[in-house]
Amino acid sequence: MTRDRGQDVSVELRERLIPLFGGDIAIERLALLAGGASKEAWALDLRTPQGTRLLLVRRAGGGVIHQQTLSLEHECRLLEVAYAAGVRAPQPYGYLGEIVGRPAFVSERVSGETIGRRIAQRPELAGARAVLPAQMAEELAKIHAIPADRVPFLEAGGPHDVLTRLERELDSVEEPHPAIELGLAWAKSRAPDRGDVVVLHGDLRVGNLAVTEAGLGHVLDWEFAHLGDPTEDVAWPLVRAWRFGVDQMRLGGIGEVEPYLERYNALSGRHISLASLDYWEIVGNLKWAIGALTQARRHLSGQQRSVELAVIGRLAAEMEFELLHLLERAG
Amino acid sequence: MQDRPRADELAEAVREFIETEVLPTTDDPRLRFRALVAANGLGILEREIAVGAPLVRREVGALMRLLGSADSVPDDLDELRRRASDLNRELSRRIRAGDAPEGTLVHLLATVADKLRVASPRYLERYR
Repeated sequence: MTRDRGQDVSVELRERLIPLFGGDIAIERLALLAGGASKEAWALDLRTPQGTRLLLVRRAGGGVIHQQTLSLEHECRLLEVAYAAGVRAPQPYGYLGEIVGRPAFVSERVSGETIGRRIAQRPELAGARAVLPAQMAEELAKIHAIPADRVPFLEAGGPHDVLTRLERELDSVEEPHPAIELGLAWAKSRAPDRGDVVVLHGDLRVGNLAVTEAGLGHVLDWEFAHLGDPTEDVAWPLVRAWRFGVDQMRLGGIGEVEPYLERYNALSGRHISLASLDYWEIVGNLKWAIGALTQARRHLSGQQRSVELAVIGRLAAEMEFELLHLLERAG
Repeated sequence: MQDRPRADELAEAVREFIETEVLPTTDDPRLRFRALVAANGLGILEREIAVGAPLVRREVGALMRLLGSADSVPDDLDELRRRASDLNRELSRRIRAGDAPEGTLVHLLATVADKLRVASPRYLERYR
């Protein structure tokens, strides 16, 4: 990011913020928090007549947008709908159109711990861990109750469609992975029939939550939202990769599954069973194993050169190993 | 013949530089994270140089037994890697066709454990 480009962003951004916050505003600070080819995040401190507002600007990156993710316009729209439905999402202030040629939107900038390992392990967050399972269940129940017709841009799919898409992504990797094939074959033979199809967050887990000592502050990272079986979302934070080293705590390294599931069922009126969580936990491991392989391809193809994406290709073996153990247990 | 340091010694030297000189002087959390990832990547490289060849030989032998192949096991490392890839492709095709050989799960548990001996040995310990 050159100084000139940063200044251009600053000038255009201020113009686009006037309709939202009025003409008497000034940018006090604008700093790129996270770059990357697909999405940028900017911390923005905006002086307004009511005081300084701490904002976050999400903007497209210069490279190819990840295929399976929402556009920034749709992500902003979804946040508006979720926020209005009482979900603890960061308050969105509006879609900004293109800022120096790339789409962007602005939301409140929330505080809280987001690093999974700290949330699972730091002593000062023990109180948060005690209340997080029920709070995660509450947020999922609220998200799953959002009327799907409010977010018509979300893609829908039943349990078999999920597996078809995963198989297609695995084929795109062009490297044989018999452990993943075994998991896909197992899942295909046991996939449930299409039942409820609801709004799913798609990536709700420890690591994508802003957590304070009081517990769950905000639900972040909405770009993988889609429509599907609610159990897919409920089982996702059980995946071992999201336990951050605290393996014996099956729910995200922070708690037990049973109270979380009971709370979700009570709030949603559904009757999701532990057995169906087992199925979707296996699918979750498939999803993240294949995700790790495709992320490494973003580096290998030159789409987004990154040591992090490169190394993650080798870590797919962790998910394969977990997958095989789950298959062994499931029989 | 290249002079010393050997490939594994060079990877080790770069990893130690990141761990002892870069990380202690880096405050930016994003840069710190990527430096840790880079050091981890070099650790993978060091382990692959040390044990990669015997592990791929073991994998080819196991795949040939599983798939009932009577070919001889090649000596050349590139040839071994090609064979491992071909046999894994054959195994993948059979699993997808619903024709997984008897013993596939046990074979894969051993083979993926061998991948982790290079990629992430500490993760493997979490299953003991």
